[in-house]
Amino acid sequence: MGCDTRTSTSAAPAEYRDLFQEFKGQEGELITILVRVQERFGYISEESLKQISRFLKLSENQIFGVASFFSKFRFDAPGTTSIKVCMGTACHVHGGSQLSDAVGWRLGINFGQASRDGRFDFQRVNCIGACALAPVVVVNEQVHARAMVTSMQELLESHE
Amino acid sequence: MSEPTAITLTIDNRTLTAHKGQTLLEVARANGIEIPTLCFLEGLSPHGGCRMCIVEVEGVRNLPTACTTPAEDGMIVRTRTAQIEAQRADILQLFLSEHTSSCLVCDEKTECKEFMPTIRKAGVTTGCRYCPKDGQCELQAVTEKMGITNIDYPIAYRGLRVETEDPFYDRDYNLCILCGRCVRMCQEVRTANVLAYKNRGRKAIIGPAFKRTHLEAGCEFCGACVAVCPTGSLREKARAWEGKPEREEITTCTFCGVGCQLRLLVKGDRVIGSLPAEDALVNRGQLCVKGRFCNTELVNGHQRIRNPYAMEGDIPKEISWEHAAALAAEQLSVCAPEDFAMLASSNLCTEDLYIAQKFTRVAMKSNQVDTTARTFYGGAFNAYLDLMALGVPLSAVHEADLLLAVGLDSRFGRSVVGVALRGAVKRGAKVVSIHPRSHSYSLFADPWIQPRPGEEAGILEDLAHAVKAGESSPNPEVDRAAQLLKAAQRPIILLGSEFMQYTSASRVLDAVRALARALGAGVMPLPPQNNLQGSLLAGAYPELLPGGAALADAAQRTRMEAVWGAGLPTELGDWNAWSLPEGKRTKVLYLLGELPPQGPKPADFLIFQNIYPPAGFSVPDLVLPAAASTEVDGTFVNGEGRIQPVRRAVAPPGNARPDWEILCHIARKMGVPGFDFKNVTEIREEMAHLIEVYREDGEEDGARRPRPYSGTGRLSATVCPLPEVSGAGEFLLTVNAVEHIHRGFPLSAWVEGSKALLTEGLLEINPADATEAGICQGDSLAVSVGNIEHVWPAKLFRDQPRGTLNASLREWATFSPNPLPVRIRKAHV
Ligand code: SF4
Ligand code: SF4
Ligand code: SF4
Ligand code: FES
Ligand code: FES
Repeated sequence: MGCDTRTSTSAAPAEYRDLFQEFKGQEGELITILVRVQERFGYISEESLKQISRFLKLSENQIFGVASFFSKFRFDAPGTTSIKVCMGTACHVHGGSQLSDAVGWRLGINFGQASRDGRFDFQRVNCIGACALAPVVVVNEQVHARAMVTSMQELLESHE
Repeated sequence: MSEPTAITLTIDNRTLTAHKGQTLLEVARANGIEIPTLCFLEGLSPHGGCRMCIVEVEGVRNLPTACTTPAEDGMIVRTRTAQIEAQRADILQLFLSEHTSSCLVCDEKTECKEFMPTIRKAGVTTGCRYCPKDGQCELQAVTEKMGITNIDYPIAYRGLRVETEDPFYDRDYNLCILCGRCVRMCQEVRTANVLAYKNRGRKAIIGPAFKRTHLEAGCEFCGACVAVCPTGSLREKARAWEGKPEREEITTCTFCGVGCQLRLLVKGDRVIGSLPAEDALVNRGQLCVKGRFCNTELVNGHQRIRNPYAMEGDIPKEISWEHAAALAAEQLSVCAPEDFAMLASSNLCTEDLYIAQKFTRVAMKSNQVDTTARTFYGGAFNAYLDLMALGVPLSAVHEADLLLAVGLDSRFGRSVVGVALRGAVKRGAKVVSIHPRSHSYSLFADPWIQPRPGEEAGILEDLAHAVKAGESSPNPEVDRAAQLLKAAQRPIILLGSEFMQYTSASRVLDAVRALARALGAGVMPLPPQNNLQGSLLAGAYPELLPGGAALADAAQRTRMEAVWGAGLPTELGDWNAWSLPEGKRTKVLYLLGELPPQGPKPADFLIFQNIYPPAGFSVPDLVLPAAASTEVDGTFVNGEGRIQPVRRAVAPPGNARPDWEILCHIARKMGVPGFDFKNVTEIREEMAHLIEVYREDGEEDGARRPRPYSGTGRLSATVCPLPEVSGAGEFLLTVNAVEHIHRGFPLSAWVEGSKALLTEGLLEINPADATEAGICQGDSLAVSVGNIEHVWPAKLFRDQPRGTLNASLREWATFSPNPLPVRIRKAHV
């Protein structure tokens, strides 16, 4: 740990070679390739983008531009975002349950469930020892201090 | 091409003739009919996105956009009806409702312009002067022209974070109107493909993939997108609050051998910016980051030297020019020819370099004048000169059907060549690239042959064999490249400097020459030194006389003696630019736009003439302030052999003076005749007697005609004098000389933004290798072979192939041979 090495080792290029076999490497095939990649890996990763870029000779930026136009493509691994709303005393007093409600509303689920697309995992937890920062919400091990109902939307969106 | 068909149409009750293929906007503009536009920009494909240019066409439902609608015979068009005006006003208000619009619709606007009741700085801070484009903004101009003073829509300001993380320019997409000019510029013209539209609807925004910075996304920092942005959304960090320039000066960029034409933006006595000139010969309206951004910052630094100073003990004391010249003359008058040496920068104008060698030869009676190009090209210098003699002009890139690029990365230098190269692929030409790392056009190269460092000479030799003898190579990519080369009608070979410091550099260049000969291909050497040719033609080398003739060339010597009225020294001397890294000491060393070496002081008396002080190296005895490239008149000879004019746009700071003037002053002080030049034109007149290309092009500007290098002299042994070591180790280290150097200074020394781009003094390592060795960005990394060890900070770089390391150093001679197997470990300092 300690430094961001920015390498991606998610899939061996052989998998991509397989996947690209049915294509000729023409620009017009981009959307279909994106669909295949998402079917195969569940999302479009940085590595996928790099491989598609090399195959189609389009820049990663151009590909991302096209892909992000369609809401069906997603760019982070599914089911990876865990949301924990603290229900300890201090957080409760500072409005923890409103936060929990807001998250539930927003994701359309109750605590203890994963969102239907599997991208969010929503839990309530007991005191995590950060009472001075109450109310707190923990997203992927990252503590968000003095969370507000109004900031929940943004927080969730940023992980969508 | 067939004649375009003439058509007749009516616009605003005027009957106009046009030709088929023109858009309505073009026809209107050609006839002086004004139609407001925002997204349209000449030179980019029409986008039809902003809808400001809507017009009414009889028989057509809705209002089509003039910039995308082709003119047809018999069309009846109206450009300003009440309906059109109302719709345009609506559209504009919608733009403004998302936009910080104080500068557009504020009640105080007029007052503010005239009287500035709020002081501007406060205005900037409090937000009412939010945008640096104020007064130069196209959105503002259109708004004013249409007389919009109110916004009837709810304000929908997006509140996006201003992106300031990249060097040289910032992005505030709150001001963006999604006109797409930047995207089209980056994709269509630059073919860098960094910018794209992302997302859609209200969340639509412009930028690279994911949340990458421009640096991570492969941006070349050419600034072309910034220059076409109609709003303040894209803004230069350095120029943001400078306001409008007062005048422009056309000059030549002196940062590499391409020699792009620049439009310097001047305000008062300061260059505030630099834009590409629409020059048809060289850069065709493009620049690289150096010409666009680094140039301005370099010449404007507040640490520029303003007055001569001498050391009194340990204390620098400012002195007058008279005093400084006298001090220099006093030292030089008693200095024997063999004890004097001058090291000049090949970034200086030919006039300066001519005076430098004349000073050395006439005033000092020595031939010990040299440039650092000798150490840059090392053992391959003569081979490089041979290739320059086969040189083809830059325009060849636009005509070739196959471009073989050898060790060329055009991301942060010569990017205008990269643009042409990628453009060539778009028009159907083939690009074959030989480069160890991914580079600015690797996506476009087919094949991209990626040698392990040290293998490139072998690959080129294989390629030459395959082309000549039809022998096939074990490497299928080399075979394919050979097929392409053989099939090409108009191939050219472009030469970058990636392999130039390798021990096998001359083998690489010889193979290039063999290949060029076999194919009948022209070679395009792209020297990073803007005036490499000029330095050779000026005779700023011990072995070369003006005209590039050999020192022993009797005819040229006779001519020189006649022109100079002085005898010429015959001794070559035993000092040259390699003497500095070798640690050889002289009595007097004159550094003309160069830096003293690291390590002990190289001379008893050190004269340092430059634009910045020599921070960090040995202390000179006399420091002379020189004028920078934007402050002098002169010429240089670019890589194509074109004489390029450099023009004085502003006065130098303080008492700084042009290099030639300082040298002449000292020579006169020494009582040496022949240095009474009043300006560079007089110097050129004298040069014309001795340098043929200057004879043809003596007059200002000349024909700017390209010519292959014509010098007949060659250099004596120029090989790196380091002893060879043999090593073992799991990593292959390559060392490159920093090519982004100006007057001896790596650009990163004085140009803040370039620190993020250029990697001088860092050791590049693949992140996966770094992780295995437990090394993070910036950690000290010790590289050793036998008992020699060097420590450099690590730079994790995804494009560095695994198992290899690369260092770019100003004084690159650290290890020999190059590349070399080494061991690494994390250094605990
Ligand atoms: S600076 Fe040049 S390469 Fe970078 S985004 Fe702008 S146009 Fe593209
Ligand atoms: S950043 Fe500027 S050029 Fe690019 S789309 Fe926005 S307004 Fe247009
Ligand atoms: S390519 Fe060379 S000459 Fe052109 S702007 Fe860049 S450094 Fe200057
Ligand atoms: S109660 Fe929430 S962190 Fe302690
Ligand atoms: S200028 Fe025609 S639509 Fe923008």
